[in-house]
Amino acid sequence: MKVGKKLGAGFLTAALAIGVIGCGNNETNTASPASTKTPASSEGEASTAPEKTPAKTEKVKITYSMWGSAEEGSVTQAVADKFNASQDRIEVKVVSIPWENYMTKLNTEATAGQLPDTGMMKEDGVIQWSSEGMLNDVSAMYEGSDSKPLDSLAYKYQGKTVAYAAANEVLLLYYNKDMFDKAKVAYPPSALDKAWTWDEFVDAAKKLTIDKNGKHPGEDGFNSKSIVQYGASVENLAWQLEAWVLSNGGGFYSEDGTEVRIGEDASVEAIQKVADLYLKDHVAPLSVGQTDDGIQRTIIAGTVAMATNGAWNVGTSLNTAKEKGLNYGVAVLPYMKDKVTLNTGGANVVFSQTKHPQEAMEWLKWYNSEENNWGLISSGIWMPTLEKWYKDETLTHKWVDNPNFPTYDEYKSAVVDYAQSSAARPASWFFTNHTTEFNTLLSSVLGDVWTGKTTAKDAIAKNLDALKAAHNGQN
Amino acid sequence: MSEAPYVRLKSKKRSQRTMNGITLILIVFFALLVLFPIWWIFRTSLMTNSEIYKFPPSIVPKDWLFSNYEKTLEVFKFWKYLLNTMIIIVPSCLAGTFTATLCGYAFARLRFRGKQLIWALCIGSMLLPAMVTLIPLYIAWTRGLGLHDSYLPLILPYFCGGGAFNIFLIRQFISSIPRELDQAATIDGAGSFRILFSIIIPAIKPAMIVVALFIFIGLWNDLLQQMIYINSSDKYTIALGLTNFRGQLKSDWSLTMAATCLSFAPGVIFYLIGQKYFVEGITLTGLKN
Amino acid sequence: METINKLPKRRSRLHKSEERVAYLCLIPAFLGLIFLTYLPLAGVLGISLTNWTGLKRPEWIGFDNYVKLFTADPYLKDSIIATIYFAVLSVAGSMIYSLFIAMLLNRKIPGRGFFRAVFYVPYVLPAVAIYVGWSWLYEANFGFFNFLLSEIGLNKILFIADSRYVIPSLSLIAVWLAGNLIVIFLAGLQNVPGVYHEAAEMDGANGWQRFLHITLPCMSPIIFYNLLMSLIANLQVITPALALTNGGPGNSSRFMTYLMYDQAFVNYKLGYACATTFIIFAILAAFTAVLFKTSNRWIFYEGGDDR
Repeated sequence: MKVGKKLGAGFLTAALAIGVIGCGNNETNTASPASTKTPASSEGEASTAPEKTPAKTEKVKITYSMWGSAEEGSVTQAVADKFNASQDRIEVKVVSIPWENYMTKLNTEATAGQLPDTGMMKEDGVIQWSSEGMLNDVSAMYEGSDSKPLDSLAYKYQGKTVAYAAANEVLLLYYNKDMFDKAKVAYPPSALDKAWTWDEFVDAAKKLTIDKNGKHPGEDGFNSKSIVQYGASVENLAWQLEAWVLSNGGGFYSEDGTEVRIGEDASVEAIQKVADLYLKDHVAPLSVGQTDDGIQRTIIAGTVAMATNGAWNVGTSLNTAKEKGLNYGVAVLPYMKDKVTLNTGGANVVFSQTKHPQEAMEWLKWYNSEENNWGLISSGIWMPTLEKWYKDETLTHKWVDNPNFPTYDEYKSAVVDYAQSSAARPASWFFTNHTTEFNTLLSSVLGDVWTGKTTAKDAIAKNLDALKAAHNGQN
Repeated sequence: MSEAPYVRLKSKKRSQRTMNGITLILIVFFALLVLFPIWWIFRTSLMTNSEIYKFPPSIVPKDWLFSNYEKTLEVFKFWKYLLNTMIIIVPSCLAGTFTATLCGYAFARLRFRGKQLIWALCIGSMLLPAMVTLIPLYIAWTRGLGLHDSYLPLILPYFCGGGAFNIFLIRQFISSIPRELDQAATIDGAGSFRILFSIIIPAIKPAMIVVALFIFIGLWNDLLQQMIYINSSDKYTIALGLTNFRGQLKSDWSLTMAATCLSFAPGVIFYLIGQKYFVEGITLTGLKN
Repeated sequence: METINKLPKRRSRLHKSEERVAYLCLIPAFLGLIFLTYLPLAGVLGISLTNWTGLKRPEWIGFDNYVKLFTADPYLKDSIIATIYFAVLSVAGSMIYSLFIAMLLNRKIPGRGFFRAVFYVPYVLPAVAIYVGWSWLYEANFGFFNFLLSEIGLNKILFIADSRYVIPSLSLIAVWLAGNLIVIFLAGLQNVPGVYHEAAEMDGANGWQRFLHITLPCMSPIIFYNLLMSLIANLQVITPALALTNGGPGNSSRFMTYLMYDQAFVNYKLGYACATTFIIFAILAAFTAVLFKTSNRWIFYEGGDDR
């Protein structure tokens, strides 16, 4: 499934997709063995807990499942142990499951009635599981709290909040500064009010695209078959395309998620423009929307000057590349008609099979405070969910001022401010059911559009009924 | 033969030699083609990540970064995973091969009522993708028998005949052994079990090794079931460890490929040990009908 | 079997004990067939008649899932085509390739053991990893094959990104993986009596004629076994779609087992997925039945049928 993004990290094809939040980032990894002498085992019996005294009253035991490696699991267990030690009512046990099969495993567990009490859940599963009655209403979680998560980070089903995102992510434009300097092209703007139009974006991309003989697209003798450096690559995974469709005044769905709008001219036109970067403008490498390692293939490989993708890349791969000398920057996305980026973030949910919903919520609320995920946040994989980190600049400094990030001003403007601006819209899986089916079908429908065998208009028109059926969960 | 002129023999020898020469050239050519993708994985394991995405691609790594393997072993607990994998594989291979032999023997040699029907059911079960029965079985093992985070759901099925493919293979091999051998033994008063152990099993050893190898490989690659039944990370197998490792490093392809190359090794070694028996020893028997 | 009737009376006790031994031997298989195959299968059949999602309580909906699959499913038709196309191409390719290689390896050449290992090795590698390895060779922008093509001045081929090439490209990997067929062919070849070849050679038959009239007929039972195994395995193909293509581009590699996987484990439509399973099962059964039916016509049994 294309949607494989988890907050942090999808990569490569779904089956390979790997993700997993916590890692990649050396800091967490190296920090962990020392600070967490917790056995990697998730079998809690031998209760790892360095607890002071055996609690007199029996503690309520809850299980929290997360995607990630064993090491990541033990890092989280160490955090949970702090929680376990901080009070004497709740005992949290962490189970980590590799990203690749996370939802498969949850699904089999649900079928067998073996679900954990609470856990992470992929973006596109939340509304679906809610509609099956598998998730608890968590509206009450932040009642009476001084800082709430950003509004755009609440998953809503039938008006009720069924989950909060565990992290925040937005779509950005990454670029290679050295390539821009060499071509003497101005950097893409990091301020939203100066955002490039689509045409400005394509023009800049043309200047940055070079063939074997040093020619640019549009020049005499330019050979599109021997391009050695591409100007731009727009990620065309189905869920990310929604940003462009919205930007062009169209949409995947109507605002309440009930109607399908993908057939409208504005929607189709936006998709065609993305495809034309390769087909007509000759500024982009071919990408068929199947793999999830966009930034690796483009910016990090040094073959492309600009590429769009999610904010998590700062921490999952760009920080290491930066250490090795990559000089990259971040900018806001160009726009077609409206300035749009997508907000997203995998969810933390409370399963309705649990016997201890209150305790589960208490744990989630405690756990979701930024301090407990500091490794992920300070490395740039996650962005905080609570408003205060965006509004209070001392906190922003604390978060962004470190060598894992691009320069503070650039990141503050292109990411932190961007994420709370009006341009940031929640991805449709925050309120729409069946996005998995819809996105799967959409990327199947668009397969021949990227290679130019058909147009977006024809492909979508031909499959509009099926797309609508997919949206209704009817196929 | 005695009439065959000497010259003809000689020319036959010469043409044989040129034939062998051509064969060798073809074999080397194809072997290189076959090895190339493997080389590609291996060379990737010795590269830096940015080198992997370079165009034109380099066939030989610039610096041979064997340090990638050291780094990999820091996180990828190869020996632990290998031990866990063996805990699953060894009993499964033994039990699977043995029970497949018993069943294959019954189908090939023994007369009993209902043989046709049971055989048909057996063949029929080959048509079912394993994934089909995954969910009912998962419910049965975990809910029915309470086996959570256990290797038993992975091992026990091999105590049940080791799969129809393998029963079929054994049956075919046994059918090709001349019946006279066991008939002679019957006359000497040997019972069916004696015949099986003293005549049949020695004769089909190569086939049994092939079956063991197939079971080995099947389990080695069976990520999905291991995924579903095993929870705790200290029970991870190589396949799970590899998936997990990829997850952990995300796009760090060179380390991922180093881990992959490490996980090649046991399969290749098992093959090399086994091949002596099943390729050289196989001449005696074969697959008939 | 006919021989049974001719057996002298006094051996009927022996026959009884033989039957007892047979049932004893088959206990494991009985258990396996009942508990691991047919009971779960019955479960699957039952589930296919419900709208079970794995989460909610299932409701009985009769044959609705099947009706929907055949009338409204956007993938099923493409999926069947892709599966059969892939299976036919891969089976044909790997049969020819593995028989050819096995015949080469059957000659007395230096380093035979080494070469056997080489051709067998792809089969023992971790499946997902080899697809990743191949995907780099196939990659459109920096892959090795396209590098070769551009060096000799040809246009790029989008091996797995182009719906026309994806199935042949994946089939090539399947052929490459066919090491297990080679091993079984080799076993069979070594069983072809050398005297036949010598006799034919005396009669002046050339290599091709000997292949056609001796090797092929003698090998036909093994060819049948390999054909059957390879067909069943390739019709159940899923790994390339999981590891490499996600069923695309378009639906060109949306194999049936992948479709089922997607329905069951991504969209949680267990009832619907079980209905798809039955269609897969029916297609497999049809192919297998045809193979068995025609097998009597082309399989040559040395010394007759001894079943």
